[in-house]
Amino acid sequence: MTIWPEEAIVRRHGETEFEFDTVDMTVNVGPQHPATHGVFRMLLTVDGEVVVDCEPYIGYLHRGLEKLTENADYRQAMGWWDRTDYLAGLNCEGAWCMAVEKLAGIEVPERAEYIRVIMMELSRINSHFMFFGAFGADVGSFGTSFTYAWRERERIYDLFEEVAGDRMFPTYFRIGGVTMDLPENFEARCRWLLGSIRQGLEDLDGLLTGNEVFVERCRGLSPVTPEQAINWGLTGPLLRATGIPWDIRKVEPYSIYDRLKFEIPVGTQGDVFDRWMVRLAEAYQSTKIIEQCLDEMPKKGLVLNPNLPKTLRIDSGEVYFRTEGTKGEYSVYLMARGGNKPYRAKLRSPSFCNLSALREMVIGNYVADAIIILGSLDIVLGEVDK
Amino acid sequence: MTELQFGEPWFGIPWLDAILRILVVVGVMTFTVIYLTYGERKVVARFQMRLGPMRTGPYGIFQGIADAVKLLVKEDIRPRAADRWVFEFAPYATFIPVFLVLIVLPFARDWGVRNLTLGLFYVFAILGLNIVGILMAGLGSGNKYALLGGVRAAAQMISYEIPLVVSLLAVAMVAGTLDLNAIALNQADRPYVLLQPLAFVIFFTAMLSELHRAPFDIPVAESEIVGGYFVEYSGIRWSMFQLAEYASLWAFSIFGSVVFLGGWAFPKGDDWPWPWQLFLTFVKSLGFILVVMWVRATMPRLRIDQLMNFCWKVLIEVSFALLIVNGIFLYYDWPHELLALVNWAGAIALLGFIGARGARKARVSQYVGLYRREGVTAP
Amino acid sequence: MTSVPKQFTPTRQVPRQGLAEKIRRAVPNHIPLEFGETKTDVDVRLKPEHLLEVVRVLKEHRDLAFDFLRNMAGVDMQEQGLHLKIHLYSFKHNHTVQLTVECPPEEDHPHVPSLTSLYRAADWHEREAAEMFGFIFDGHPNLKNLLLEEDLHIHPLLKAHPLQEPEILQGIEDGPPGFPF
Repeated sequence: MTIWPEEAIVRRHGETEFEFDTVDMTVNVGPQHPATHGVFRMLLTVDGEVVVDCEPYIGYLHRGLEKLTENADYRQAMGWWDRTDYLAGLNCEGAWCMAVEKLAGIEVPERAEYIRVIMMELSRINSHFMFFGAFGADVGSFGTSFTYAWRERERIYDLFEEVAGDRMFPTYFRIGGVTMDLPENFEARCRWLLGSIRQGLEDLDGLLTGNEVFVERCRGLSPVTPEQAINWGLTGPLLRATGIPWDIRKVEPYSIYDRLKFEIPVGTQGDVFDRWMVRLAEAYQSTKIIEQCLDEMPKKGLVLNPNLPKTLRIDSGEVYFRTEGTKGEYSVYLMARGGNKPYRAKLRSPSFCNLSALREMVIGNYVADAIIILGSLDIVLGEVDK
Repeated sequence: MTELQFGEPWFGIPWLDAILRILVVVGVMTFTVIYLTYGERKVVARFQMRLGPMRTGPYGIFQGIADAVKLLVKEDIRPRAADRWVFEFAPYATFIPVFLVLIVLPFARDWGVRNLTLGLFYVFAILGLNIVGILMAGLGSGNKYALLGGVRAAAQMISYEIPLVVSLLAVAMVAGTLDLNAIALNQADRPYVLLQPLAFVIFFTAMLSELHRAPFDIPVAESEIVGGYFVEYSGIRWSMFQLAEYASLWAFSIFGSVVFLGGWAFPKGDDWPWPWQLFLTFVKSLGFILVVMWVRATMPRLRIDQLMNFCWKVLIEVSFALLIVNGIFLYYDWPHELLALVNWAGAIALLGFIGARGARKARVSQYVGLYRREGVTAP
Repeated sequence: MTSVPKQFTPTRQVPRQGLAEKIRRAVPNHIPLEFGETKTDVDVRLKPEHLLEVVRVLKEHRDLAFDFLRNMAGVDMQEQGLHLKIHLYSFKHNHTVQLTVECPPEEDHPHVPSLTSLYRAADWHEREAAEMFGFIFDGHPNLKNLLLEEDLHIHPLLKAHPLQEPEILQGIEDGPPGFPF
C-alpha cells in the first residue's frame, strides 16, 4: 500500500483523472552524484516523488578502447582492457588473453590456468564486495556496509599486490600464461583470505539481509520476469535473479571451469532483493572455486607457454569469446586480418547491456527507489563507456 | 502542585539574570555541538571499524574546533537562481526555534533559564516552527534536490509531530503537570519510562524522524538528494544548519531524558547536590544521543511512503489508543501498576509487531538461498 | 603463416554441429545465405535487406529459438564495405550464431533494418554502431549519439579515421621529455 496509487500515476496520461493539475519536474542525477558510482547521468522526470521518465546519458568515460586496441599490439592492448571493468581488472585481462589465445591457438600451461582462475575469482569477489558496500550506502546505511566490505577488499588487494605487484590493474596475465609464478606463501595466505572473505560475507549478510528496513525497501522492487530479462539483454546476477541459472562458466565453460564444482545461485522474483542475495551467494561460490583450485592445482610447473613467438601475428580469423564477467557476459569479439594488431576488437560489456534496461526498471518507482535500482544493476562506468 | 523556580535571580536583577543564563546556555550549547560532531564521527567510526578523526590533537579532539573554524572562514555562496531573502534567512528560521527550546530545559533543579508552568506545551509550540526554516531553505534555494528535500521534510515533520505530541501528552496526563521541572521531580523514585514505555517508544521513533536521523533521514538523504534542503548552502550558513541539527539533537535528548528518564531527579537527584543532578542530566542525554548514533550507523533508510504509512497507520493509532487508555485509568483512579502493565504489554506488542515483520521477511532470504539453494543445475 | 604452437588441440567447443543446416532449412529459400565458421561459432552471411526476416525466423523457429541478442559489432572492411556482426544466442538450445550483415561497399552510411522491434537489447548496441560506423538503422526509435557527444558527427571506428598523434607536452624545446640522468 502506498499513499499515492502508483499505477494511477504511471498511467496518468491515460484514463486517470486528477483533481488538480501538476507539473512534471526534471531532476538531473549525475554526472557528479554520490549514487551514480562514477560519471553517469540520468535525467529523471518526476511527478512529485514518482519517476515518470528516465533518460540515461553515458559516455563521460569514453576512452576509445576499441580504436586504441586496433592500433596496439595484441600484448600491448591488454593494459587497456583491464581498465574496462576496473573493479575486476583480472577478469577483463583474462577475457582478452583467452580470446587472443583462442584466435591464435596458443596453449596455456595447466598451472597457469589454475592461477588465472584463482585470480579471476578473487577479482569477482572483490567486485561483488564493492557492490555490497555501495549498495548498502545507496539504501542509506551511512557507510557501515561500505567499511565492512572494504576490509575484505583491502585484503584481496594486498594479495594481488604480493602476487602481481599492483592492486587494481595488475596486468598479470600474459597471452599464453601469466607473468610470473605465485609467491611461496601464496596458498596459506589465500586460504586465510578465504576464511576472512566468508566472515565478511556473513557480516554483511547479518548487517543488511535480515534488516527490516532493508528488506522492506528491496523486496518486490522492480521485479523482472525471465522473458523481460532475456529480451532486455540482461546477463549475470540480474538474469540469475529472475530464476534462470545461466552462467557462462557452466554453460560454455572456458579455461578449467568444467573441472570445478560449483553451483549457480538463482533468485525467484528478479527484484532488487534477489539481486543482492544472488551476489552474496555467488561470492560464496567463488570462495569454493578458489578452494578447489588450491587443492587441485599442480604444485610445480610452467606458468607461461615457452613456445610463444616473439611477435604474435595472426593471419585471419574471427572469435567471439565469452566469459562470465563479474557483471554478466563479458565477451570479446576479435577479428584478425594479418599483422600484429587486431583488425577489430569489440567489447560486449555486461554493464552496458544491463544499463540499457534501466529506463524500464525505473519508471513508475519513487526517486529513492530509482537510486536503489541503479545501484542494484552494479554498473562500472569504465565498462559502460569503454 | 509545587511552583518551582530556578532559585533566586543572579545579582538580584531579573533581566540581567535572564541574559546571563541565556549566555551560559548558548555557550554550553555551542561547545556541546562542536563536540557532538566530533563525537558522532568518532562513535560512528568505531561502529564502522575505523578510527575517525585522529590528526588534530590527541585522538583528534580538536577536530570539532578545526571544523568550526574552517566553516566560518569558507566562502558563503548564494546561487543566482535562489530567492535572496528566503535563502539567506532560512538558516536563522531553523536555528532560532532550537535556541528557544533551550530556555525551558531544566539541566538541574536550579539550573536553567526560566521555568514555565506550561513548559511542555511551549516545547511543542516552538518545535513546530522548525519546519518553516527548512521549507524556506528548500523552496528558496532554487534547486530541485533542495525542493524535494524541503517538501519531504515538511511532510515528515508535520506528520510525526502528532505521535510525538500525543505520546508526551500521555505522560503529562500521568504526571498531572506540564511543568518540566515538576515532571522531573515527580520521577524522583521511578522514571516514567517504567510507567509509560509505550509512550517512550513512540516518542523515540518520532524524535528520530523530527531530527532527520536514520532510518528517517529522508529529507537529507545523502545518496539520493545529496543533502536535501541545505544542498546549496556553504560556509557559515551551512554550519548554522548543522548547528541547528546537533543542537536540536541535544535539546531533544535532554528533553526526552527529563520527561521519560527522570532528568536530574532520578535517582537521588532531589537529595544530593547540583553536581550530581548535572551529572545525571549529562549521562542520560548522552545515552540518548549514543542510541541515536547507533541507530544511524546500523539502519538503512526508509522510503517516503513507507515512512508516512508507519506514521499514519501505526504510530498515530497507537498513540491515541495510549491516550485513551491513560484517560480511562486516571479517571477511574485505577492503580498505576496496572497502567504500567498495560503499557508494557503495548510496547512489547508494538516492538514485536515490527520485529516479527523483520523475521518473516528474513526467512525469505533463506528461501532465495544464500548458501542453501545449490541444487539448481545449468540448462 | 601463423605462429601457432604445434600441440594445440581444441578441447571445448560449443555444440554447433548441424546448426548451419538447421538455419538453412528454417530460412526461406529465396534468401541467399552463405555459411562459414569462426573459431567459436557458425557464421551466416547475408544482405541487410534480408536481415529482419532472417532474424525473425531465427527467433521464432522452434528448433533455433534465438531469443537473446548477445552482441552487435560493426566492422569496417574497407574495400568490402561495412559489416555488421550480430551474435544471437538461444537459451533453450544453448547455441550461438554469428550473423554477418554485408553492406554494399559503395554506401558510406548503409541502411540496416533495426532489430529493436525483436530485441529490446538492440537499442543501445545499434546506437553505438550507428555513431561509431555511420550505420543508419531504419526503424530505430532514438538514434542519437550514445557514447560520443550529441552534436559530434564523426565515426571514429572507421579505418579512415586516424588515431591522433601522441602529443609531447613537456620539453618540446629541450629535446625528449624527462630528466637528463
